[in-house]
Amino acid sequence: MNITDSRKVEQERELGRGNKRERSGKIVPVGEQIGRMIRYVVLVVVSLAMAFPFYWMVTSGLKTNDEIWRFPPTFWPESINWSNYADAWNSAPFARYMFNSIFVAVCICVIQVVNASMMAYALTHMKFRLKGPFTAMVLLGYMIPTTAVYLPSYMILNELHLLDSYAGLIISNSVSVFSIFLLRQAFMQVSHELVEAGQLDGASHFRILWTIMSPLIRSSFAVMILITFIEQYNNYFWPMLITKDPDLRLVSAGLRGFFVEGGAYGLAWPQIMAASAFTIAPLLVLFAFAQKTIMQSVNMSAGVNKN
Amino acid sequence: MRLKAFREGEAILFTLPALVPLLVFWFGPLGYIVYLSFTEWDFMSPEKLFVGLENYTYLLTHADFYQALKVTLLFGFGTVIPIIVGGLALALLMNSKLRSTGLFRAMMFSPWVTPTVAVSIAWSWIFEPDVGLANLLLGWIGISPVGWLQDSTWALVAVMIVTVWKSIGWSMVFYLVALRNLPQDLMEAAAIDGANAWDKFRGITLPLISPTTLFLSIILTIQSLQAYDQINVMTQGGPAGSTRTLLYMYYQSAFESFNVGEASAIAVIIILICVLLSGLSFLLSRRLVHYS
Repeated sequence: MNITDSRKVEQERELGRGNKRERSGKIVPVGEQIGRMIRYVVLVVVSLAMAFPFYWMVTSGLKTNDEIWRFPPTFWPESINWSNYADAWNSAPFARYMFNSIFVAVCICVIQVVNASMMAYALTHMKFRLKGPFTAMVLLGYMIPTTAVYLPSYMILNELHLLDSYAGLIISNSVSVFSIFLLRQAFMQVSHELVEAGQLDGASHFRILWTIMSPLIRSSFAVMILITFIEQYNNYFWPMLITKDPDLRLVSAGLRGFFVEGGAYGLAWPQIMAASAFTIAPLLVLFAFAQKTIMQSVNMSAGVNKN
Repeated sequence: MRLKAFREGEAILFTLPALVPLLVFWFGPLGYIVYLSFTEWDFMSPEKLFVGLENYTYLLTHADFYQALKVTLLFGFGTVIPIIVGGLALALLMNSKLRSTGLFRAMMFSPWVTPTVAVSIAWSWIFEPDVGLANLLLGWIGISPVGWLQDSTWALVAVMIVTVWKSIGWSMVFYLVALRNLPQDLMEAAAIDGANAWDKFRGITLPLISPTTLFLSIILTIQSLQAYDQINVMTQGGPAGSTRTLLYMYYQSAFESFNVGEASAIAVIIILICVLLSGLSFLLSRRLVHYS
């Protein structure tokens, strides 16, 4: 397969190419039209139901404490209290939590771009004796429930004196089997002739990887970075275990802390909902802009079982 | 000869940046936890006491363990099956000749992107027994209110609803891809032969998308065994252990009662279940899954 082929494969991965062939102006029989109507109605209802918790979160965050405890609940707040959002934002160091999450997630993304592509490149375009076992190991990593080994990982991190530090948060998450796998899939579609051509020109593997190969799998990098960022921003269990210092809390742990304390101070639900809403906001914005790329991750990871 | 050794070394060098953390934080701990499961330790005492199989025999003779195992199985079946069946149903609905389904797709997928902790908090409010939305909806269809997170039968259902809500759009997108890759000519040929929609679904669609189904069921099962965030936020394993999965029991015995040995034994059992299920699905896939 040559470069143009692999380009085409990547392009074809784009979602939404399917249904276009049906858009011609054919005359549709009445029965089918009714069928379509029903499907539309079902789709609208289901989509609204799926998005409803978000709506509920945002609007509950705008209500007064009085109103939120009324039954039956009001579907639109009687008065808009943006002050709840400000109150929530100021009653815990949310700016700090968000900075922590974004900072840690970005660092992890950068490291994973480097180590996952080097590993994936070695597994696809370099010859060495341990290639088979290493590939098997990466595949096996997919099947291991990481959460189950948090206890020994915690003890190891303790031995390394990395508990309660940014370094610990970053290093312990610095490898992802998913990322390696995704890039491996991408590199497999790039012709090995390119590597050989590069070597004839006297380029090292390192140069070939970063100047010739990487630009060809840009879209896989985009998917990998977005998924890793989302995962790390949302990460809760592991970061919570390895940090006791409140200043190092990631946004989910911070939010959960606020939730528990809010409970102790007489259930300040509007503020809690407001805090949840602004925690989610960056991700929904990211999703709105990078929808296609994020959903492409599905196309790419679906290839896992084909090899 | 020297060149060959150089090449080997260079390749190993390329794998190291990923290999080292992989060994330190994935495969190393995997071996370590098997060892820990044969010991007794509380994070404090200077030495780990070797106790053989004691942690396992203790677990296997106590009702708490079986309760957690039961919850794990219920949670597993109660989330994996609805996510797969529901995801496929939504994908079939969306795959038909409809215009502008992009927005719907995005709305259904969006829960997957958002942090579990934040959405679980929002859902806790929906499940509030006195003024929550869930009981309002039940009231509309004439069912008397339930205690949801405070009720030992309904708490697990509530946690499952949140889990399904979060992943159903994700599995739908998997199926959308699989459905779009179906060979159109096969469908048309079947239609000419007089096959109805159900025949085509049973005879062509279902077998051809079986690799996706297998992949999803493995990944979702592993995910369900690892569910923590939503349980921690919504119920913390309660009430009365009704939402305490094996993983949550593992967490509690490790980090709340500092019982390293017992916790490790639970973890080993979780890992064994994973290995067993993955192996089983592969065996099953040889007979049932159709790879084109």
